[in-house]
Amino acid sequence: MEKSHLSRRSFLRGFGAALSLPAFESFRPLMAATTAARAIGTTASGAPLRMAYLYIPNGVNLDHWRPDGTSEKYKMGSSFAAMEKHRADFQIFTGFEQQNARANGDGAGDHARGTAAFLTSARPRKTAGSDIQLGISADQVAANAVSSLTRLPSLELSADGVRKSGNCDSGYSCAYQFNLSWRSETQPMTPESNPRAVFERLFGSGSSDERAKSLGQRLASKKSVLDFIESDAKAMHRHLGRNDRQKLDEYLTGVREIEKQIEKAESLGLPADPGVPAPEGKPETYGEHLRLMLDMMVLAFKTDTTRISSFLMAHDGSNRSFAEIGVNDGHHNISHHKGNKDNLAKIAKIDTFYLEQLSYFLDKLKNTEDVDGKSLLHNSMIVYGGCISDGDRHNHDDLPILLAGHGGGAFKPGRHVELGENVPLSNLYLRMLHEFGIKEPRFGDSTGLLRKI
Amino acid sequence: MKDFTGLSTYERVVIFFRPICLLLLSLPALGDEIFNKEIQPLLVKYCYDCHGDGSKEGDFRMDRHKDLGTHLSDRHHWMPVWRNLRSQIMPPSDEAQPSAEEKRKLLSWIESTVFKLDPKKPDPGRVTIRRLNREEYRNAVFDLLGIEYDTAEAFPPDDTGYGFDNIGDVLSISPLLMEKYLTAAEEVVNLALPDDASAQVPRVEFPASDFKNPSVPSTWVPFSDGAEFTLNIPIKWEGKYQLMLQYSIQGATEATTAAAALEISTGGKKLTETKLGWDQRRSIDLTATAKLQPGDQQITVKLKPGLAPAEGEEALYLSIQRLILQGPLDGKQREYSKGHRMIFVDGPAPEDPAAAKAYARKIMRSFVSRAFRRPVVESDITRLVSIVEEIDKLPGKTFQDGIKQAISACLASPRFLFRVEIQPEPNNPAKIVPLDEYALASRLSFFLWTSVPDDELLSLAFNNKLRANLRPQVERMLADPRARRLTENFVGQWLQARDVSTAPISAPDILGVADKRKASEIFDPRLRNDMRQETYALFDFILREGRPAEELISANYSFLNERLAAFYGVKGVKGENLRAVDLSEHPERGGLLTQGTFLIVTSNPTRTSPVKRGMFVLENILGTPPPPAPPDIPELSEAAKEGTNPTMREMMEIHRKNPDCRSCHARMDPIGLGLENYDALGRFRMTEAGKPIDTAGILVTGEKFSNVEGLKAILSQKRRPDFYRTLSEKLLTYAIGRGIEYYDSTTIEQLVAHMNKNDGKLTELIHAITTSAPFQMRRGDE
Repeated sequence: MEKSHLSRRSFLRGFGAALSLPAFESFRPLMAATTAARAIGTTASGAPLRMAYLYIPNGVNLDHWRPDGTSEKYKMGSSFAAMEKHRADFQIFTGFEQQNARANGDGAGDHARGTAAFLTSARPRKTAGSDIQLGISADQVAANAVSSLTRLPSLELSADGVRKSGNCDSGYSCAYQFNLSWRSETQPMTPESNPRAVFERLFGSGSSDERAKSLGQRLASKKSVLDFIESDAKAMHRHLGRNDRQKLDEYLTGVREIEKQIEKAESLGLPADPGVPAPEGKPETYGEHLRLMLDMMVLAFKTDTTRISSFLMAHDGSNRSFAEIGVNDGHHNISHHKGNKDNLAKIAKIDTFYLEQLSYFLDKLKNTEDVDGKSLLHNSMIVYGGCISDGDRHNHDDLPILLAGHGGGAFKPGRHVELGENVPLSNLYLRMLHEFGIKEPRFGDSTGLLRKI
Repeated sequence: MKDFTGLSTYERVVIFFRPICLLLLSLPALGDEIFNKEIQPLLVKYCYDCHGDGSKEGDFRMDRHKDLGTHLSDRHHWMPVWRNLRSQIMPPSDEAQPSAEEKRKLLSWIESTVFKLDPKKPDPGRVTIRRLNREEYRNAVFDLLGIEYDTAEAFPPDDTGYGFDNIGDVLSISPLLMEKYLTAAEEVVNLALPDDASAQVPRVEFPASDFKNPSVPSTWVPFSDGAEFTLNIPIKWEGKYQLMLQYSIQGATEATTAAAALEISTGGKKLTETKLGWDQRRSIDLTATAKLQPGDQQITVKLKPGLAPAEGEEALYLSIQRLILQGPLDGKQREYSKGHRMIFVDGPAPEDPAAAKAYARKIMRSFVSRAFRRPVVESDITRLVSIVEEIDKLPGKTFQDGIKQAISACLASPRFLFRVEIQPEPNNPAKIVPLDEYALASRLSFFLWTSVPDDELLSLAFNNKLRANLRPQVERMLADPRARRLTENFVGQWLQARDVSTAPISAPDILGVADKRKASEIFDPRLRNDMRQETYALFDFILREGRPAEELISANYSFLNERLAAFYGVKGVKGENLRAVDLSEHPERGGLLTQGTFLIVTSNPTRTSPVKRGMFVLENILGTPPPPAPPDIPELSEAAKEGTNPTMREMMEIHRKNPDCRSCHARMDPIGLGLENYDALGRFRMTEAGKPIDTAGILVTGEKFSNVEGLKAILSQKRRPDFYRTLSEKLLTYAIGRGIEYYDSTTIEQLVAHMNKNDGKLTELIHAITTSAPFQMRRGDE
């Protein structure tokens, strides 16, 4: 049972080295596809197109977030110091809203509604549990369309390992507050918060030699088990009432997903070798945890294990403290700043901290070459932001949102894009889905396709 | 609104839309008169501004139906009215509030007239099929296969609803979780039946509590203290043995430079030594081998202090988990693993294929009926045995490999992972049936043990005698050590005791000590653990000793060890183990309101929060949560500007000048301020910001108190009915795995009445829940 024990630092060193490796041969066939109509989930050059959503909670200090000036010549807010070097690779927006996070008669619960509505652009039904209802999230619309192309349709991450007991926000089930990604109106996609578990899910467990083998063997040996449990589930299904069946359907969907993975292991081959060992143990700090999870996302994109990912860096309402940057107060607590200077300064510090992690992530993507010779960042669409604008007002308009990456050349980053008043965030998602090759007429509460990006 | 004298708004609406003669014809019944005279005026007064006379805030109109008959029978219309009124969501806090009496009148009118609740024919409601949560899965595989599987590591956290993590509607299975269940099924079987060992070298585990002298290292030992522990191990056969010490390093969330060394020796001879430093692994092994003679042998484990943490770093601790002894290693003595003995009930498999097949049937029948908590049909056994045979036939595979595969299929089956309760006509809401006895056995075992039923429960169910023996079985189950899981999971969530270890609290800020290391000499992670154990121990004691439930609040005793007693300022308690301590000389301690657990989980990281403390009591003790706060909350530090160095009370009073805040804060603040004698770490104090603390207050229900003693007395005596009702609702929610609905109000009244009749005994509440309609029966889905 002795596991190879490598420190986080040696993991990162290995990771850095791997970035200079040539792109994977398995991508080559995709390049040939460019002559035909553009395939789904690809860029104009035929390389994989990636889509990621990164969530920050509790609003921001707008004075230090807001860009000054318009289009290319804008001045970044002071929280963006670490992002200056990425100026040409992202665009920042003003004017987005997420109206489904508003109270509209449902009373308090802006944090639960914030996390819930962010990626679904749907309205969470107010319930502590009995009849959860939201809507499919943008990433899952995309995942459904490309699920046959990659080993995993999508990858859901979170950095909230430990949860508070008791009730969540104001009568909303905790499911709303801890899940960004929803497969259907009723089924959240559970995020993974343990970096090692994410790694093993992507690439198998054991040493790098054993890894591919062990995953392949494991999948193959599962067949008799899968047959047994599937027929169990079907037999059970007949005897159940409506609500029970819905739960069992989730189970059956899970079984089918695994069967698909086995088929894909046969058609797509074994998982790629990421060229780095699995991360060991728990991260030393929150920042390290965030960076490790972002590393996993880069690895997943780089190896084309998935093209779609979401990351709840912290759930809305999180009262986490940030000892590593000298903020010992709870984030949610100080987000109700009421104009107090100390609180506002601390919020700006937290905003800066999160943006530094984003900058780290963009660095990694920029320094990784994709199959078409461009960077991963060039071939990505990364939404970063939150569903509350100002923590004190709990408002869901004027949202802090930016879009990093060039979408394979489809976007014009490097600008401050002023949208005017209250453009649904879903218009951005719809545009991203269109770039991804999914030409739906609408998503969530969208009113049109966002063209200015 | 009062311009049409004598006519309610409802009538006006009706008159407006319908000929008056029809109205007169449709209003002869007495019930309608009660509505018009007693109910409608209240609705007009408190609801119509926003939900009547053409207003329809939140898309809801009180006066939607024009016809009174339809109006009074539309349950779906009244449901949100009942629910929001009951949970005080409506009217909103900034609007006029009905008195307690008016509220009660409205609620009971809705219950009897609209919902037509009949206490004689209670609606048991419907529990959605429940997937095992992480705790249940962990206990189930331990009880079935004798192995510890770390589900907190293997599975993502369970979503919660109604404050608990065992709510059927909320527990979903994502594709990710399904993958993990498959992997777990394999890992569990590999742990229970290791590949290389059909018969292994004998293996004995000694838990940390077996270590002696100078103190029991069951909790954390600081690196700086150094320590020496001894363990006596009985050796039967002479030979070479392997000693594996399992431990972890605790105390600091971020890496530190502190170091120490750990040595294992026997008979004065050092066997091995290792360096200790910051390490986040959950379990670390230190292995040595030694030649041992028959008889009692002493193993010594020594922690040697090393480099102290640098200034500003937190201290590190050694936490010993167990010592595993394996040997003699020459292999002359062999025995089967615990898991093996539980599965291979008749020893190794026979050579003869027919006999082996019969043995496979026997093994699978025994395992599968325990894992699925009910007997299975023969065709299921046949399917499992064919898996055994299929694997056994493969080159290099054995009979045991086949059994392992079949068991892992069971562990991934929906019949293991879900708690299925089959009933006829599952989609007929009018069909109410008693649970079959196997389902009842599972409800009991998951409620009281957080795990699968044992053989005794299953065999009673098989003979259809479980219902007849319900009370003695519940008593037996409560006396079993597994009942401790009820305390940890129920109290851990109801009183948030689970959270005290991880609650973000900044001891340096609260203590006013800048150096983390110095702060950790006063408040350290061991104390947090002691606090949680104190809360569990109090509940356990009250449960086991048949004490009244209100002693959770009023107790003048507690369970302390030396460290926690010293922190609380209680003298004369020695040693590491918690023990009962009489606190009659310490009126400031005793009961959960004075426990570190409650005081810390309701504080902000750097200060107390009277609002959170008040909220906690309203929600979890009195069961009257205030409506959630409006978004525009004046921050306390803002208020601070107006005075100089004000106390918490002064700040709260400035805050409460705002009329928007007053109505709710009048309910929360007096309770929270009454507890200001405890700082954010739970230390007792008489002054704050250099001024004496004034804890006197009046509850919104009118009772006056001057300090925590008075508050405890009010909550445990005058407000006892509220406490009983709240506890009943919480425990019923936990027991049946769904939220409390309108039709449960009769059950809740019965539970409270039963408690009142039986001196408030916690055990009696449990008995009453296990015999209640929602626990015993099912109805079809709506």
